Amino acid sequence: MGSWLDYTINGLIIGNIYALVAVGLALIFGVSNLINFAQGSVYAVGAYIGWTCFTYLHTPLAVTALIVVVACAGLGVAIERIGLRPLAGAARIAPLLATIGISLVLDQLLQIVFTPDPRALTSPLPNWRISVGGGTIGALDLLIAATGIVSAAVLYGFLRFTKLGWAVRATAQDRDAARQMGVNTDAVNMTVFAIASALGGLSGLLVGMYFNHIDPAMGFQATLKGVVAQVIGGMGNVPGAIFGSLLLGLTESYGVAIFGSSYRNLFSFALLLLILVLRPNGLFASARSTPPEPMTGSFVTPNRPVRVPRWAIVAAVVIAAAVPLIPAIPYVLQVLTNAWLFAMLAISLTLVAGTLGQISLGHASLLLIGAYASALFALDSHWPVWASIPAAGIVTALLGTALIAPSFRLRSHYVSIATLGIGEIVGLVILNWESLTRGPMGVTNIPPLQVGNIELDNPRAAYWITLGILVLLAMMQTRLLRSHLGRIFRAIRDDDVAARAHGISLGRYKAIAFAFGGFAAGISGGIAAHQYSYINNETFTSTVSISALTMVILGGMGNVLGAILGAVALTALPEMFRGTAEYRMLIYGVALLLLVRFRPQGILGTT
Amino acid sequence: MTALLVLKGIDTFYGPVQVHFGLGMEVRQGQIVCLLGGNASGKSTTMKIILGLLRPRAGSIFFEAHDLAALSTPQIIRAGIGSVPEARRLFSAMTVRENLLMGAFARSDRAEIARDLERMLELFPRVRQRLTSRAGTLSGGEQQMVAMARALMGRPKLICMDEPTMGLSPLFVDRVLELIQAVNKEGVTIFMVEQNASLALAIAHYAYVLQAGRIILQGEAKDLARDPRIRAAYLGGETEPAA
Amino acid sequence: MTDLLECRAVTRRFGGVIAVKPIDLTLREGEFLSIIGPNGAGKTTLFNLISGHDVPDDGTIVLEGVAIAGRAPERIAAMGLARTFQHGRVFANMSVRDNILVGAHHRLRAVKPRLPGLGALAELAMALIRPPAVAAEEAALNHEVLEIAALFGDRLTPRLDQPAHSLSYANRRRVEIARALALRPRLLLLDEPTAGMNETETAEMQSIIGGLKARGQTILLIEHKLDLVMRLSDRVIAMDDGAKIAEGPPHTVRQSPAVIEAYLGHRAMGEAAL
Ligand SMILES: Nc1ncnc2c1ncn2[C@@H]1O[C@H](COP(=O)(O)OP(=O)(O)OP(=O)(O)O)[C@@H](O)[C@H]1O
Ligand SMILES: Nc1ncnc2c1ncn2[C@@H]1O[C@H](COP(=O)(O)OP(=O)(O)OP(=O)(O)O)[C@@H](O)[C@H]1O
Ligand SMILES: [Mg+2]
Ligand SMILES: [Mg+2]
Repeated sequence: MGSWLDYTINGLIIGNIYALVAVGLALIFGVSNLINFAQGSVYAVGAYIGWTCFTYLHTPLAVTALIVVVACAGLGVAIERIGLRPLAGAARIAPLLATIGISLVLDQLLQIVFTPDPRALTSPLPNWRISVGGGTIGALDLLIAATGIVSAAVLYGFLRFTKLGWAVRATAQDRDAARQMGVNTDAVNMTVFAIASALGGLSGLLVGMYFNHIDPAMGFQATLKGVVAQVIGGMGNVPGAIFGSLLLGLTESYGVAIFGSSYRNLFSFALLLLILVLRPNGLFASARSTPPEPMTGSFVTPNRPVRVPRWAIVAAVVIAAAVPLIPAIPYVLQVLTNAWLFAMLAISLTLVAGTLGQISLGHASLLLIGAYASALFALDSHWPVWASIPAAGIVTALLGTALIAPSFRLRSHYVSIATLGIGEIVGLVILNWESLTRGPMGVTNIPPLQVGNIELDNPRAAYWITLGILVLLAMMQTRLLRSHLGRIFRAIRDDDVAARAHGISLGRYKAIAFAFGGFAAGISGGIAAHQYSYINNETFTSTVSISALTMVILGGMGNVLGAILGAVALTALPEMFRGTAEYRMLIYGVALLLLVRFRPQGILGTT
Repeated sequence: MTALLVLKGIDTFYGPVQVHFGLGMEVRQGQIVCLLGGNASGKSTTMKIILGLLRPRAGSIFFEAHDLAALSTPQIIRAGIGSVPEARRLFSAMTVRENLLMGAFARSDRAEIARDLERMLELFPRVRQRLTSRAGTLSGGEQQMVAMARALMGRPKLICMDEPTMGLSPLFVDRVLELIQAVNKEGVTIFMVEQNASLALAIAHYAYVLQAGRIILQGEAKDLARDPRIRAAYLGGETEPAA
Repeated sequence: MTDLLECRAVTRRFGGVIAVKPIDLTLREGEFLSIIGPNGAGKTTLFNLISGHDVPDDGTIVLEGVAIAGRAPERIAAMGLARTFQHGRVFANMSVRDNILVGAHHRLRAVKPRLPGLGALAELAMALIRPPAVAAEEAALNHEVLEIAALFGDRLTPRLDQPAHSLSYANRRRVEIARALALRPRLLLLDEPTAGMNETETAEMQSIIGGLKARGQTILLIEHKLDLVMRLSDRVIAMDDGAKIAEGPPHTVRQSPAVIEAYLGHRAMGEAAL
């Protein structure tokens, strides 16, 4: 009994920590309908500023907190200026992608400046603790709780009851209309970002002190948890965010109590999916409401895809096929082979995110499924590689579709969150299902590519096989897009309500698109497994998902050729600089930002 | 009568597509002026450039002594222009009451705002019933009424209305037109865009007819109402730029 | 003639508001029924209930003998019901042609082999293989698109390959109607098809809708432009505040005191008397 009380207290304390991030996220979502993926990065920056102050300036806590608040507020203003304001007329999803870019940039800068190694951030608070049940509560716990509750209460009041608060919400819903009421919308957005970021930085400082541990990767995890908490409480709902955080903290704490600590995150993401499927508008939302009709006069950025003549495509394929014949360094072949693998992932994503309009943030998990499926078929079932790879494609198509199917009725941002959650879950299941996947050890000694007895373990053969499969997949997808299915996918993307009114069943066609996309991604993962010969649950992480998304946007959403072009450009270019992983992700972040800002339709245009 | 709003030599573009060709017009103090024109003739675009939502590539726009080209949209609103946008553009997740109060955002005289709110609810009894509903759940016509009331809440000198009667049932059309006249009698100048020429000309003082981005006809409303060319202008068909 | 659509005591509440009070409605095959009523009367809500975009709290809706209340809109569409939306919902990034083709979705046969359990997979295969039967079906539909577009004079035909977002408001409304026609509906629901059109364009639309009626199309129309309603309807239902306040031949309904009070106003009556 006593230990349950402990777990409860622990859950509430952890929940409180999540609340600090979730409140900032909710505030920004409430204002700009934007999931600010940079919120976690600001939180990490706050923690590092605090660490710098403590370590080099030896400032007391109050002064440190003030510095963090001011610096992060400034950072918030900068994020608004770069990530939001210039995108006012762009598609709804554009600012979301911009914040993903900003977050990549910030996280990588932290790694470059402070190294990836964790640091200790020791709390200067007095060390007294009250004991409650079997556990204790300290000064820092109380400070964290108070910060969360007070800031939420103030913000809630601000949004509901003050004129500026109304202006903030009005701006969120219709910027042009708000300006026509005399609201200076730029100033409003800037204020909100400053407040939310100040809060984010402060929470980074407090949480860093709480765990006495900070590292540059803490930001992404914080964003994830904050988003989960917010979905539970209802997006943009400030009190809901706090409730969601506490519920999340408790669920994790009890989950850990029953199953052990490696299950912590699995529980949070399972809870996320459960809520998304059962109550997509959060626990407090009213049950059913019909989606409002879109207003007249809304225009999309006019854009006409670049028409690439057939002969140019054929020529490009021929040239690509001839590359191994010129005595190039094997290194080039290896980079290009990798690019073809990425291109398979990219055409899969461009179908789902571009043509069907379901922005997936967890696409790398399909690679993982494909890689594990092919590796295990080959090792455990002793299938030949030429059979295990297509089988992996089919398994990925089926499993991927089955995982996403419960979320088929979600729209826009919620789809992205669901796919993000599913992506994390796949990784965590692989980590924990040791009897099948060998757990954290990973799978070793995966046989190389071979057909019959002919080993294709040389770079040239691997190159040709990968290129050939890519060309085949791309041709199939192009054919698909020209059929009635392409038309149906685009109709669902443009207006799913109108699509249903004409007899289109969303479930069936989303399933077809995800299955086709899953097949391509699964094949890519399968080939990769046999090339790498070793895989584990971190071979393809969420950064791969984001990279793929960047490629797809670079090429032009929905554009098959564009996706391949994007994959080649973003795989090959960073190699030329031969930078380390940090610099590579930095380049992706900057590329994503520039693209969203200056060429949202990508190189070849959206289709 | 002095001119309150003056547009001269306006050229407007959407990307490469030109919408206005040397557009010029005047709205005189105290009048109801309407802009007629077929679909896609550039009426809504005229509203957008007056409100500073879109900048013309050439030409000048003056409101009293203000050079609107130099002001941002919020500044233009504060200078005394109210707007009823096309397709209403209510804040759909906010309550009707909050929407109305947003209309008075640029004002700070609380007591007067409260009185104006009451006055609006008297003008639109239907709106009173839905005061605490979210604006997005209102029917098309109810939304139009809220949009009108919201613009009036700002006590502007000039109200710009883009198709204020669109989607309204006959009784409400009458009510809105009467209301426009009543507001005008109180000294507010009205500039409106309408498709329904006969209705608009019935209440307007002066009218312009826009076709393919050019003013092809203008004059006292009562003269235009009898002008056969008015119908011709509508029969002129659409002039959509080929995309 | 048989009843195509029959609504009994259909009700829809939103929180405190009863948007549709228990309402009865029947529509015979080939009939043209209009619903009029002041703003907020519940007309669009009733449409949403019939087309499956919303679920009634109470009551039954029967389409060709099948109870459809609570069915998904795509299944109701497949039974032959097409609708347009009050504010227009075209597929903005698709060409006019593709917009209309989507309307014909539920008539696709060759590309959707009937295989229990594997239908979706078979459809994917058919799309990729594109056997002659499938190609012929597409060609026939494409031909039909030209016919439907021709109904609208030269408004749509020259713009078939333009993206819908580049069209003017009135043309987007026309695309929506064309798309609905491509379904070859047994029952067509039109929600204010002439909103935002000027007098000339309204007259043009009236003759198009009149043409549909002459072909025997069953139509349920919401419209504020009384002239058009009077000319085309076989029967009119007037609603106010969620309830039916009058029903009958157009001229009777128009003369009904309740309708004048709630909807027309006395000025419109004065005009009508001229
Ligand atoms: N954001 C935009 N991007 C590109 N073209 C546009 C945009 N907005 C309007 N247009 C085009 O500019 C022209 C004029 O449009 P505008 O909205 O001013 O017409 P309107 O006279 O108000 O027509 P309606 O009666 O349909 O409201 C049209 O051809 C329209 O297609
Ligand atoms: N989702 C909803 N939530 C709450 N109230 C709603 C919702 N949808 C409609 N209503 C209310 O139900 C009533 C009927 O609305 P409806 O849209 O059916 O009117 P309408 O007769 O189509 O009017 P109009 O001619 O103005 O379009 C209105 O008072 C509206 O505010
Ligand atoms: Mg307009
Ligand atoms: Mg309606």
